[in-house]
Parts: sequence; C-alpha cells; structure tokens
Amino acid sequence: MVEYILKNGIVYDPINEINGEKKDVMFMDGKIVNSVSDDAKVIDVTDKLVMPAGIDVHCHLAGPKLCVGRLYRPEDERRGVKPKTDITRAETGFSIPSCPATGYRFSRMGYGTVVEAAVPPLEAKHTHEEIIAIPNIDIPPLTLFGNNWFVMQFVKEGNIEDLAAFVSAWLKITKGYGVKLVNPCGSEAWGWGMNVHGIDDPAPYWDVTAREVIRGLAQANEMLGLPHSIHVHPNDLGHPGNFPTTINSIDCMKDIEKNSEYRNQTIHLTHAQFHCYDGTSWRDVTSGAQPVADYINKNDHVTMDLGAVTLDETTTMTADGPMEYDLYELTGLKWANKDIELETASGLVPFIYSGRNPVHSLQWAIGLELALSIENPWQVALTTDSPNAGPFIRYPRVMSWLMSYQRRTEMMDNKEVHAWAGRKSALGTLDREYDFYDIATITRAGPSKIYGFEDRGNLSAGSIADIAVYDLEPNSFDPSRNAAAVEKAFSNALYTIKDGEILVKDGEVVKVVSSKHVRTEVQGFEEEEKRVLEQIMPTFNRYYTVKFENYIVHDHYAEPSSIYKVNASK
Amino acid sequence: MKQITLTPTKFSSIALEFDELIPDEIYGWSKADFEKYEVPVGNTRFPLTDYFDIEVEGEAQSPEEVQMIIDGDAGRVKYIGCKMGAGEIIVNGDADLHAGAEMEGGSLTVNGNAESYCGREMRGGEITIKGNVREYAGTSYIGEWRGMSGGKLTIHGNAGKQLADAMSGGEIHVMGNCDILAGIHMTKGFIQIDGDVTRWPGGQMKNGAIVINGRLDRLLEGFEPEGIVADPVVEGKEFTGKYIKYIGDIGVSGKGTLLLNAEKNRHHL
Repeated sequence: MVEYILKNGIVYDPINEINGEKKDVMFMDGKIVNSVSDDAKVIDVTDKLVMPAGIDVHCHLAGPKLCVGRLYRPEDERRGVKPKTDITRAETGFSIPSCPATGYRFSRMGYGTVVEAAVPPLEAKHTHEEIIAIPNIDIPPLTLFGNNWFVMQFVKEGNIEDLAAFVSAWLKITKGYGVKLVNPCGSEAWGWGMNVHGIDDPAPYWDVTAREVIRGLAQANEMLGLPHSIHVHPNDLGHPGNFPTTINSIDCMKDIEKNSEYRNQTIHLTHAQFHCYDGTSWRDVTSGAQPVADYINKNDHVTMDLGAVTLDETTTMTADGPMEYDLYELTGLKWANKDIELETASGLVPFIYSGRNPVHSLQWAIGLELALSIENPWQVALTTDSPNAGPFIRYPRVMSWLMSYQRRTEMMDNKEVHAWAGRKSALGTLDREYDFYDIATITRAGPSKIYGFEDRGNLSAGSIADIAVYDLEPNSFDPSRNAAAVEKAFSNALYTIKDGEILVKDGEVVKVVSSKHVRTEVQGFEEEEKRVLEQIMPTFNRYYTVKFENYIVHDHYAEPSSIYKVNASK
Repeated sequence: MKQITLTPTKFSSIALEFDELIPDEIYGWSKADFEKYEVPVGNTRFPLTDYFDIEVEGEAQSPEEVQMIIDGDAGRVKYIGCKMGAGEIIVNGDADLHAGAEMEGGSLTVNGNAESYCGREMRGGEITIKGNVREYAGTSYIGEWRGMSGGKLTIHGNAGKQLADAMSGGEIHVMGNCDILAGIHMTKGFIQIDGDVTRWPGGQMKNGAIVINGRLDRLLEGFEPEGIVADPVVEGKEFTGKYIKYIGDIGVSGKGTLLLNAEKNRHHL
C-alpha cells in the first residue's frame, strides 16, 4: 500500500467547483483519498496545473476501420515513426497510429479514458482485441444500433420494450458501453446504393425514418437507464445546408424523459462541426453554427462534441458508407468500403485539410465558432472526431485556439487560413476565450457527466486516481498570448497518473499498463432479453454469415473489473 | 573537396542501411568519426569498420564538396543516397533497395544494377544507373499517390515493372527495355524509353508524356490515336522520325501524351 501526495499544485476540478486553488491531491491504492499518513510519497508540483486525467468522448481508435486504414495507408504509417525504448514499443503512424502508439500518445497528453465511438456488433471481437493491444487508457466502446435490421423491425412495430431488451442483450454480447447511431437509415439505404436526406426520408424496404429510429432508441436507452444517452451522428453529414437536419434530429426527441441521475442530457450530438453548414452547395456554403448553437443554448437535453478541423492530412473513417462515397467522388483519392451485413456500412477515404482551401478553412472556423457560441461549456466536449477532422494528437492545438483570440485573429490575418474562414462564419467577431477551468470542463468534467462516469473526470475522494499535471503555472501565465506554449504543455504532460500509477513523467512514457474495457451491463431485463433472442434467432441464422456462438464477444476478451452495472427501471 | 572512399571488406546477408551516410550529414566527419559510427543492420547496429575500409581525403565546408565512393559491391546496402540534398555518391557495383529515394539534390551514380524503388519519390538531383533497375523505379511509396516530382533518373539498362508510378514531375530516361505499366497514374513529367516495352504504358495517366522508341507489344484500350506526327518536340527535346500519337488514359479523362516510334510499331497502325 503506497500513499502519494501531489503537493501544492493549482487544481482545476470543475465537478467539485475547484477553480485554480492551490491544494494537495492525495491518492492511495489507485483511488483519490482525503488524507494520507506522513509516510506518503511526496510529488512536488508547486504552482503547476493539475486536472483530472482527460476523457475523450468520441474517437476512432480500435476496431476494423482502423485496421483497414493501416492496411491501405502504409504511407501514413511511416509518418510519426519513433524507435522502441526500454519501456515502450516502436511507434508508427500519424492519423492512424499503431495500437501501442495510440495508447502512449493519449497518455502523453494526460488522457485516461477514451471512448471508441463506433463498433459494429459483428466486429466487436476485433475491437476488443485491439483494446487489448492499446496500453495505458481505459476504453468504453459504443455499439452501433442506428441501421440494425432488428432495431428497424422493432421500431416499425413500435415495440419499445422489446427494442430495449434487444439493446440490453446486444450491449452484453458486444461488451459495449452505450448506444451509437450513425446516419440512421442512411447506411442501411447504402445497401441499395442510396442514402436518406433529412430525418423523414424512409429507408428502402423497411419504410422506417431516422426520426422513428432516434426516438425509438432514445426511449429504449432511457427505459434501461443507461449511464450515457444516445450518441448521435445525424443524417446529411458534410452536406451544405444540413443544419436544419441537425436541429430536427435533436428536437424530435425533446419530450423523452431522462432516466439517469448523473448525466443531464438525453441526446449527445457528435462531431457537430460536420453538421452545421448552411447554403446549397460547396460554392455558396456558409456557417450554420449560429442556429445550432442558439438551439443548444435554449435546450438542456442535448450535449455536443466539436469535431474541430485541425488542418492536417488525415484519414476519414465512419460507419456512414454513403457519405464516404460522396467524399471519394469529391477528392478522387483511394476509397475503402465495407458492408457489415445486417448492421451498417462503413467507408474510408484519406483527406488533406489545407488552410489554403476555402471550404476546409470554413470548416476549421465552424468548429471553433461552435465552441465559442455555446454558452454553457458543460454542453461542449473537445474532439476532432479523430482521425476524421484531424488526429487526436492535435487536441492541445485546438485548446490553444480556444484559449487565444489573438492566435485566431492572427491565423485569419496572415492567411494561415483562407479568407472564407472570416467571411463566411462569425468566428472573427467572437472574442471569447476559454480559461483553464473551461478547458477542464470540456475535456474532463463535462465528458464525465455526459457519460455518467461518476468515478472519473473529478478529484473527489473515492474516484479513481486518474490525474494529469502540466508544465504550466496558471497564476503567472497568460494562455491568450502564448498559444504555442499552451499546445506544447498540453501535448507533454509533466505527470500522467492512471489508477494511482505514474505512467508519464516529463512527457515520456515511463510505465505501460493494460487498458480496461469499460462497459455496461443492465440488470433486471434477463427474461425479456431471452424472449427477444429466441424471437430474432431465425432471422439471425438465415441472414448472418456467422453463427451466433461465434458472434458473441466471449468473456476472455475483457477483464470483468470495469463493468458499470445498471439497474433498469421499466 | 572531400573524398570519402568505402571499400567493402565483409559481406552481410542482412542489409545495411545507409540513409544516415549522406553528404548533408557527413561533410564534416573525419576518419575517426566514421570509425566511431555504427551502421544499422537489420534491427541493430554494428561498427561501419566491420564492413568497410574507410579512407577520407581533403576537407569540405558544405555537402556540395563531398564525393563519397563505395568502391565495390553494395548489393546488400539499402537507402544509398536516400534524402540527400547535395554532393556526389558513386557506387562501383550494385545497390540495394531505395537507392536515391526521396533525393532532393546532388548526384548518385551506380555503376552496376539497382534493386527496386530506385529514385522513389525523387524531388531533385540526378541519378544514373549504368546497369538495370528492378520494379518501381522513380515511383511513389507503397500506398502513396504522390510520386516522383523532380530531378532526372537515367537508366542505361532495363527497367522493371511500374516505372514512375504516380509521377508528377521530373524526367526518366530508360535506354534499355521496360516492363509493364510504365507511367501508371502519372500526372505530369516525361518518360523516354529507347528499348522495347512489353505492355500497358500509361495506365490511368492523367497528363505528362511518354515516348517509346522501341517496339510496344500491347497498348491499353484507354488510348485514343491522334494520327502520325513527324519530328515531335516533347518537353523541349526533339525526336526525329515519325511517331504515332495517342491521348489517354480516357478511362480517367486523362490528357497524357503517348508517342510510339511509327517504324517499329506498324502493328498498331
């Protein structure tokens, strides 16, 4: 039993409303505690920035898409090569790093928990295998439900109780944490070479609309009382004039009652930047961030993450098959497409975001405009939809932009971004700057609330000891005038502590531990699950290419220590 | 002027890697520095002196003043001249994979054969191969869609498959024969082949020019004949005689030029 005391840091812990107080943080046996004995090991962090370890609400980091990406982009793998050390394995890759590199890089940034945002149930085994290969971060996977045939069937029948039982069973089968929807009905339509537009355009054959799927899954989600709300990538991603679809997707389920004490929202809108475009084509596109931000400011049943564009060469990957085809048509670069049987359809295309390109510059502006226009930082989470809008190692850069009006204006003035950024969005008029408390909110406390992680994202006694210390002295440092220093400090944590162990020191990984597969298990729906399974088994056996016995993610894939048990209230 | 002579003394069946030994890095090195240096071999490093006798003569103030000679067979030495920006490297024997890859300037001469990926992603400078090269000379990295963009690659012997994949600039001159798919995915630049070509030059080319002075066995369907031209001038270079001109690859709306020596390619008329 080793006790530690992090001494004299400047602590930002928004869940406990601690805003830059000089105080000690103590932990023992992997948990935060209120007091330690005199024998405690002292880590002196006098005047340094201390926060809970970061939580990423939306990232693509484990699963078949990543593997396809690595296979078909060897030219990306050679970027970011770092030789092995005595502690770490060799690193490769920039937008789609190797599994060990993914873990090390998150750890270096002071992150402790990263959500894998899209797991097709059929490929869940692969996802868990990759989580085994990624060190140092806890990974809750979100299971894809938005285009699932069984979901379509239950929604068509209006049978929410059976839908809830199905969701509960499939979360156990896939060892997933929550419910993800990607272009609901659109990826299913892609099976016929089609897409849907807007939330009232029915999927072929099923005659079910995105509105019905979003509402159905939201009701099922609340019936089960899952810790996270539904996590929605709405229709029409990346299409000019898509912002009404975005607002409709959030508004259509406003009346559904929340059944969770910890989180505040009933829907999470993901990578909002891609869903906030006005205009009719890429020629007359303008920012649609203001109406979406206004809606979010007036409604508290929704949270969002940014999907901020970082202006890098990256790889897009999503379970939105038709959108990736559109992107391929636009860029002419290599395209990978995958049909996931009864569940979804995914695609990949490399993408080069450039500050010289007017559209990319506008996208860059929209991401930041959203963050600066939504008044309540608890409704915002920082992401780049990694790697879609930029690789996750750029989070510190996005933080530096949010913290510095000077840097943003400088980029627009000295042509680091195209004039469209200023002309077609309101970014130039927004002089708001995030402070360290806000940054801690959008990268720690907010995500903790959004996901119902009561035991992380805060420094309360009893929470797991996931802590990040950065080499910045908030009391004598002006982030709005030192964007580069902010980026450097957040990229290289002074200490990253995970479960009470020091994993990173002075920006270097000093210890490697295995990741946990964070997941939920619903209690109290066992009878219904059994009945629903029996009911759908004939369809399963007829259409799937695998046997049900081989479909399940077996227990040896994931250690049982990080299961969130949920008591369903019917 | 500094002359560095490396004479092979021991053969390693596991390839050595020479990408650190380019004039840009070593122009200030003395003989003692070379003797201290450990060269990558597989997944480890060994002293360079295990494999070479080293002679250093003269002084250099900049990479331009360096001439490095590998005086013997370097058939298991990879990345010779890789990423070099200036100076001169001469190999009096064969060279292994990636000779002159990502080269930006200076010159590399191989007085033997070169393995695959010779001149990969070359951006400038000059490479001369007195023997043959294998596949993917002057091409892109695997998976990459941006290939050779500048410089000149001259091959006195024959070239292997997929010469100049995704080429976007520069010049390649093959004096011998060439295998399939020369200039595939090419968007700009100039390829001259003096010998015979098996088949399919210019697959999916968008632009640029290929001149074939020998016999072409089979042409791709995506090339539209434009008739016979006499004494064409391509990229400022004059060719005497009659040539059959094609535009392609129309499969990708390409506007590339393919010129075949009419005399040797009557079977295409």
